[in-house]
Amino acid sequence: MTNFIDYLLGGFSNGAVIALMALALVLVWRSTRMVNFAQVGQAMFTTYVALTIQQSTGNWLLALVVAIGAGAILGVIVFFLVIRPVKNSDSTGAIIATFGVLIALQAGAGMIWGGDPQGFIPPVDNAGLEFAGRIWPISPYDILVLSATAALVIGLTLLFTKTSLGLSMRASAFNPEVARLSGVRVNRMLISGWAIAGATGAIGGVLIAPASTISPNSFDILLVFAFTAAVIGGLDSLIGAVTFGIGTGLVISLVSGYSDSGNAAIVALVLLALNLLLKPDGVFGHHGARSV
Amino acid sequence: MKYVLPLTHPLLAVENVSITLSGLKILDEVSIGAPEGAVTGLIGPNGAGKTTVFNVMSGFLTPDEGIIRFDGKKLKHIKTHHLTKLGISRTLQGVGLFESLTALENVMLGGSAGVKSGIVADSLGAPWADSAQNKLRAQAMEIMGEFGIADSVDRYPSELPYPVQKRVAIARSLISNPKVLLLDEPAGGISVGDMAELGRMIRSWTPERTVLLVEHHMELVMEVCDLIWVLDAGKVIASGTPEQVRTNPAVLAAYLGEDGGNTDVGNG
Amino acid sequence: MNNVKNLRTFPGNRIIWHAVIVGIVWLLLLLLNNNIDPLYSSYLALVAMYATAMFGMTILVGLSGQVSLGNGALMAVGGYVFALTSMNWQTVPIIGWQWNAVWSMVFSGLGGILIGGIVGGLAARLRGPYLAGLTLGLAVGVPAITNRFPELLGGENGLMLSVPYPAGGYAALDSALGSSSDSSSGATVDPNSAVEEDQYAELDLSEFEQGANPDADLAPEDLLTDGDLLTEEDFGVGDQLTDGDLLTEEDFGVGDQLTDGDLLTDEDFGTGTDLAVDPTGITDAFDSGFIIERWQASMAIAVACLVAFAALNLVRGRQGRVWKAVRDDPVAAAVVGISPSGSKISAFVVSSLFAALAGAVFAQILSFIGPGAFGLGLSLSLLVGIVLGGRSSLLGAILGALLLVWLPELVDGLSGDRGWPEQITNNAPNLLYGLLVVAVVLAAPGGVTGTVRAWVDKARGKTRSPLS
Repeated sequence: MTNFIDYLLGGFSNGAVIALMALALVLVWRSTRMVNFAQVGQAMFTTYVALTIQQSTGNWLLALVVAIGAGAILGVIVFFLVIRPVKNSDSTGAIIATFGVLIALQAGAGMIWGGDPQGFIPPVDNAGLEFAGRIWPISPYDILVLSATAALVIGLTLLFTKTSLGLSMRASAFNPEVARLSGVRVNRMLISGWAIAGATGAIGGVLIAPASTISPNSFDILLVFAFTAAVIGGLDSLIGAVTFGIGTGLVISLVSGYSDSGNAAIVALVLLALNLLLKPDGVFGHHGARSV
Repeated sequence: MKYVLPLTHPLLAVENVSITLSGLKILDEVSIGAPEGAVTGLIGPNGAGKTTVFNVMSGFLTPDEGIIRFDGKKLKHIKTHHLTKLGISRTLQGVGLFESLTALENVMLGGSAGVKSGIVADSLGAPWADSAQNKLRAQAMEIMGEFGIADSVDRYPSELPYPVQKRVAIARSLISNPKVLLLDEPAGGISVGDMAELGRMIRSWTPERTVLLVEHHMELVMEVCDLIWVLDAGKVIASGTPEQVRTNPAVLAAYLGEDGGNTDVGNG
Repeated sequence: MNNVKNLRTFPGNRIIWHAVIVGIVWLLLLLLNNNIDPLYSSYLALVAMYATAMFGMTILVGLSGQVSLGNGALMAVGGYVFALTSMNWQTVPIIGWQWNAVWSMVFSGLGGILIGGIVGGLAARLRGPYLAGLTLGLAVGVPAITNRFPELLGGENGLMLSVPYPAGGYAALDSALGSSSDSSSGATVDPNSAVEEDQYAELDLSEFEQGANPDADLAPEDLLTDGDLLTEEDFGVGDQLTDGDLLTEEDFGVGDQLTDGDLLTDEDFGTGTDLAVDPTGITDAFDSGFIIERWQASMAIAVACLVAFAALNLVRGRQGRVWKAVRDDPVAAAVVGISPSGSKISAFVVSSLFAALAGAVFAQILSFIGPGAFGLGLSLSLLVGIVLGGRSSLLGAILGALLLVWLPELVDGLSGDRGWPEQITNNAPNLLYGLLVVAVVLAAPGGVTGTVRAWVDKARGKTRSPLS
């Protein structure tokens, strides 16, 4: 039982990062109705940027802020150079193009920063806290990750429900034609969606990096986890992405704890397959009538 | 051959079919039948549920209540890809041709339900698989010749004028030698001259085949149909011969309720 | 008006044509293989292997319109099945037969069909991004499965393969790697061992030492009786091929190769040794001049040609039309009697079969199979190749395969001249792939073959007037 609680607690921090990546996927889905398979590639790239900043200045917060900015800019660049030109012409092509971006980003990162895994020093201690006579699998850094994630989720929720930008973005996602007629600059909303998604992914990348190492391919598995969470959550539900992102993290932590961390990918695959088999539109997703 | 009411044995019918989509009752206890060997028309103002009836008959939708009756058998649901096997052929609104296949290949696909060579035989190039295809090809060439579109066999749909595309689509639905043809707006987008020919063509299929059509052009409907069903707001409001329907006040009222519709009925 | 001469719509003896085309290409490739430096033979083997897998991608991604990132994982399935069947059952006689490469290939193919059917059944329910995500999970998850069964699948380290080389091959290689002065001088004649910078050659030899040497313990008699089954013809021309023309051509091709005097003198190393270890005295040029790269290439070419024949028959026949129809318009396809999900599943099964065969070939080329070689990178490579070459044509698959093998070498050559750091050189091909994929999707979705075809159409249209 102690093991169970430990594994569970240990999963929250990873789950939070998966939730952030899933959020990024959902934000893009809401704005352009497509899955950005380059999302974690972008996050990997901006995490390297953050690593460089941290290594040269030693300032973690500065690194995070620069990564957020870089993530937003990268999201907008990908949108303008790749997504907007391809979007409507060829849905198969759009999916392939995002993988093209992923390949290029990974190779680019390899060129600039090399292929060897690099460590990322956390701003606060990453060792388990001692409390009530034992060491818990939660470190000060985990608490930082969880609070940062919570702050971001609250911020995004407020953005979408309370601000005019958020409302316009929702309108554009829900019905671009009507939104356009009521004076919303739909294109600008799509760009905002990609920028916010890029920034969210960037935060996720910087937060996960100290927990392991960073290399050009090290986030591949994160893409699978995040996609799993986003799809189970319904792909267009922010709350679904967060819930199932954390849920995926917990499941993975339990699986890794009781068996072997190598099994996490298999578990994610099984979860994803089961979900797609049973409920192709996700749990929280809006069920539209299937077009004939 | 003009069909005489009342119909007793429809070859294809929906019976007491109701469908509700997102809280809206699209069809309400609708019973419509296509008598064997006749041309039956299905008309009504926009949103009356005509295409929904077709979609039920062709398996796109499963009715909440009611059944489909085909050839005396009761069916709750028809699998769309079993239609041609049953002997039902449907055309789609517009043309619905496969853009990356030539006209001939499009027509050949219409008869693919009749050819059952497996994927293994195909991949190994088994002689019987090839000869089945050659037979189908000859059949497709023949039917396209009858339709006067033999010179288009090698063309892709986008290279063909719209009326020719329409003919290709009809040839594709005829190659399976169906008992019943469901024509979804066959006259959509074609000229008046072509429409007269279309009318003659449809009549020429009876009484060997049974035809059910949804159509906006009242001229064509009044010209070719033996029997007409009128739908409005998901309910059958009238049925009968073209003459009976033309003079039915309920039909007039339904069309008058929709702007511009009245002229269509009036001068048909 | 019925005299339409176009091959596409009027095939006549379509199947014969396919057999003739494939047969000629096969013959030419075998001639090429026997007359180039073995270093290039190893590239040829890789191209053939990639092409085999990508014929499946043509069908799945191009014709059926399903973006799959799982084909690398399906290759792993084929590779592991091959490894396990050839390793554990090799010496188990069944009804007087020895398990050998052909049977292991059959099992690999069956494994591919099985897994392809399962994944395809799931995939047929899914639309674009969901399918891509699921297959992505497959690409990441399947290699992880190898860790789940370390005893059986070797975990991270993978499995060494006891590649069932042709009979004389063992002897030749054994002597080439052995201590006898004869063979060591022969080995230096072999251009392969002289080429230092060639990673494949080095890999092959080193893997051979670890992987195949244990089998040297087998009695030569075993190998030689086995050898009857394991001649190249067995590999290449299966019993399935009933076309007489192709067979004679093929026979001619192999015969030509076997009686080629030049080859015998060029590649001849240690013929005397071979004769000495060959108790039955059966030697021919192929056996005595055994060069592993050539054998690998001819094996990979044989598989690729057989797969190409099947793929041609499918793509240019009824099944190709069915796949395209469902991709173009699933509703209209259902209306004409095609089951959209059935069509998607069949595309998955066929591409999975091809991928598994390619995986079995890959495993033999590497003499090794491990999760690292079959990861997401391989799946992405297949996608890159098919998109760049031309998504919906088999020729595009071949061009893509060439590109996947040639571009890294090109970059390597360029950087060698300029002294680029390794970090740049290693990543440059992938950077190019990624950028090219995006560029092709945006500017020329048909890839190389699609673009060329569009040019030809345009030129024709001008002379013919498309309005007629």
